[in-house]
This record gives sequence, structure tokens and C-alpha cells, in this order.
Amino acid sequence: MPASSEAQTTATLPSDVDLHARPAAAFVRAAMAFEASVTIAADDREADAKSLLSVLALGAKAGTSVTLRADGPDAARAVDTLGELIAGLVETPG
Amino acid sequence: MVGIVVVSHSAELASGLSALAAQMAGPDVAIEAAGGTADGRLGTDEAGVAAAIERAGRDGDGVVVLGDLGSSILTVRSLLAEQPDGHVKLADAPVVEGAVTAAVTASAGADLEAVVQAAEETRDARKL
Repeated sequence: MPASSEAQTTATLPSDVDLHARPAAAFVRAAMAFEASVTIAADDREADAKSLLSVLALGAKAGTSVTLRADGPDAARAVDTLGELIAGLVETPG
Repeated sequence: MVGIVVVSHSAELASGLSALAAQMAGPDVAIEAAGGTADGRLGTDEAGVAAAIERAGRDGDGVVVLGDLGSSILTVRSLLAEQPDGHVKLADAPVVEGAVTAAVTASAGADLEAVVQAAEETRDARKL
């Protein structure tokens, strides 16, 4: 049995990217790849990281610090990967 | 990859929603619009819907259909009843939330059942 199946990290959205539309979809798509359940919290609100509507409703703004929590066999990898993705999001034009 | 078809009484609504879903899902998901009648009026064109399903199914992984109201839904149901095909599913979901969620879920490589489920879960999503 693994020592721990829970993991947590914080990440900060880039100063020019809100977690909406395409960036939110990219985040949710990446979260779906993990077996662990994952949540993303910002400003005292929390969303299921695998639910697009939930993440869109969170409305995390550019520059916001978010907390990622995961529970499951690949929890550590999930929060690491998703934390890096959040910090590296770019707003693609068009 | 699972394909998506948006069926609406309005060609503009179907193509606009398809564009929104495609922007969020990326280029790998086949998203097809079937809106309006063949002669450009508001309504539903069964042959047009069938053609859209055919195009969206090009990967062979199945197709999820989202419809707007009334006869759009009835047209899809009758089409699926005439040609039973386990690879085509009509989702019982709100059309905007359902289509966007289905497209993004499909883009993650989810299978047909998972895409239908994700679309149908949007029935309970509150806006506020």
C-alpha cells in the first residue's frame, strides 16, 4: 500500500491568462488523464478539475494563486503536472 | 476519437456552437453542425443530420449528438430508430453546455460512454 495517495500544491496563473475558455479546456483535458480525483481551488471556491463547467464557473483570474489537491494512485504526478500547466498557460490568439 | 454533432433549428446556432466547442476542444475532435432546413429556413433536415453524423464518425470511435429543442430531438431519435447503430448516441443534455463538455471530454480521448455521461452531467450544472 502506498504511503500516501493524497497530494497538494499551489500554482499561480500567469499575469495575462484567465482560467477561461481555451485555457480552462486545456487544464481539464490534462486533468482527465489522471486516475486520481483532482480539485482546483481559488479564492475560497473549489471546482472538480475534470469538469469543464465547474472549472469555468470557478472563474479564476490571471495572476491568481490556485490550490490543487489530488487523491488517488497518481496524485503526486497529477498535482505536479497540472501545477506546471497552470503556471505555463498562454492565451493563444484567434 | 469520439465525434460530436450539433443539431439545431437554426444553421447559425448550430455552426456558432460548433465553432465554440471546436475552439475549446482543439483540432482533433470532429465537430459537425446540422442546422436548419435544406432550403435555409429554421427547422430540421433529416438528411443533413444523417450526413453530419456520417462525417463526425470518420474515426470509428462513435458519435455523440446534441440537439436543441423539440423536432431536432425527434428527428435524431427517428433517425437512430430507423438505423440502429450503437456507435451513435443522442445525449439528454442542454445543447450549449453539453456540446462544449462533450467536445472537450472527447479531446481527452474518452470513449463514447464517457463522453455521453459527461454531456449528460451538465444537466445539473448551475450557472451561478
